[in-house]
Parts: sequence; C-alpha cells; structure tokens
Amino acid sequence: MFELTTWPRSAWSIFDELESLQESMNRALRNTQPNADYRGERYPLLNVWTSPDGLLVEADMPGVDPADVDIDLVGDELTISGKVNATAEGENVVVHRQERPHGEFARKLKLPFRVDNNNVSAAFRNGVLRVKLPRSEEEKPRKIAVQAA
Amino acid sequence: MTTDKDTTAVQNPSRNETPQTVYVPPVDIREDGESLTLLADLPGTEQHEVDLSMENGVLTIDAKPTMQAPEGYTLAGQEWDYGTFHRRFQISDAVQVDKITATVRNGTLKVTIPKREEVRTRKIEIGK
Repeated sequence: MFELTTWPRSAWSIFDELESLQESMNRALRNTQPNADYRGERYPLLNVWTSPDGLLVEADMPGVDPADVDIDLVGDELTISGKVNATAEGENVVVHRQERPHGEFARKLKLPFRVDNNNVSAAFRNGVLRVKLPRSEEEKPRKIAVQAA
Repeated sequence: MTTDKDTTAVQNPSRNETPQTVYVPPVDIREDGESLTLLADLPGTEQHEVDLSMENGVLTIDAKPTMQAPEGYTLAGQEWDYGTFHRRFQISDAVQVDKITATVRNGTLKVTIPKREEVRTRKIEIGK
C-alpha cells in the first residue's frame, strides 16, 4: 500500500506554470502568514508586478519611516517587517480618532522563482515601498532549439 | 470637537481620462493643551500635490498624487490601488485658523491647528 502524496510538493511546481501568473500571485498574497495581521487586516497591502526579468513588490505604507522597515530575503521567501506609527502618546493627549495602523508588522511572501540576491533593490518614496526582485539567471526562461533528427 | 462629513469612497465624475477612485484617507486626530493635530495617510503624495483649505469652519483635504506604474511591468496581484484623496472635517471655532500649519512626510499629511489662547490649558499655581 502506498501513501497518497501530492506531487510535486512545491507550490511553485512546473504544473503551476500552467496557471496564469496572476492566479499564482493572488494565491501567494492570500497565503501570507497569520502574523501579518494588523487588527485582523493584512499590513502592508501589496501589489505584485511582473516582467520577464522578475518581480516588483509594491507596498502601501504611508507614515512609515524607511529606517523602521526591514526587508529580508531567505531562499524564495520575502519578508517585509517593521513598525508603523509606533511612537508613544505624550501626556495629557486626548485621542479623538485613530484610524491609521499602529504597531509592529511582518508580512511574508513566497516568490515563484529564485531571486538574484545580489541585484535586489528597494526604494521608499512618499509612503510607497517598491522592492525589485530580479529572477536569477539560471531561472530565466530559455528558448530551446529543436534539432532535426 | 471634530467630525468628518464623507465616509465612503466615490467615483470622481469630473475627470475625462481614466476615472480615478477617490479615497477617504484614514486619519488620527489628537488634542493636547495647545493644539489639535491631524494626521492623514495619503500614499504617493508629494507636498505640492495636497490642497488644504479652511472655509466656514470646514477643513478640506484634497490630494492628487501622480503615481506612475513601474515601467515594463504588468500587474499580477493587487491589494491596493492608486487614487486621489478627499475628506472634510468640521473644526471648532476655538482655533486660530490663520496659524494652521501643515507638512507632508513619507506620504502622511500632518496638520497642526493651534487653539485660541483663551481655551488653552493653563497650569495655575496655587498661592500660599
């Protein structure tokens, strides 16, 4: 008797390539870790852009000091973590309204390919973070010439 | 002390090009002895892209950031969108309208609204 195994195990298997990249990325966004929650919401919200050369992850994080953001890449997992609006209130301050996110956050995203670690770059501008993740050379699509037999 | 009048995002009908969604930005409002501080999240917005006005006790925030989609890329997964921002607040008349100051930093607008002298918190020394 053999066990039923899902094969291949990787969520980013060759068969998933048959799905549209859009479906894969939407699923990746849904499957982020539970500790990514800010009051039950995901933070930061992400857009994922693709090109033949790789991905660009765009995070909506107004009010965040870029010095308070950490971007880590381990294997094919990208983590964006840090703190947002985490300064303590002064004395005698009355809070009339608090709708903006406050506290620490961490969000993980599993990437659909190996990244060229040496060429990852990140830019933070007006509260929008953009992380460029180039595909490693050996994972770039290649044309394979068919030889006549 | 402060109430906002708009609560839902609406489509802006005045634009002829691709209509951009108008968002109601989330805000924090705090008050201390000297002033009211309003912080509004306007991602993608530069200082010169914000219009702030005060008329008849209503503070209006309008922001129209010019966000460019990254060149050479197509969108594969989306959780947020570019757009413009609009929100209004009724402000007490116990403030100094001509002393309101504002800055934009990292996509957040900070408006400081000083109170009138007569409503500021004062520490009163108790005489012996």
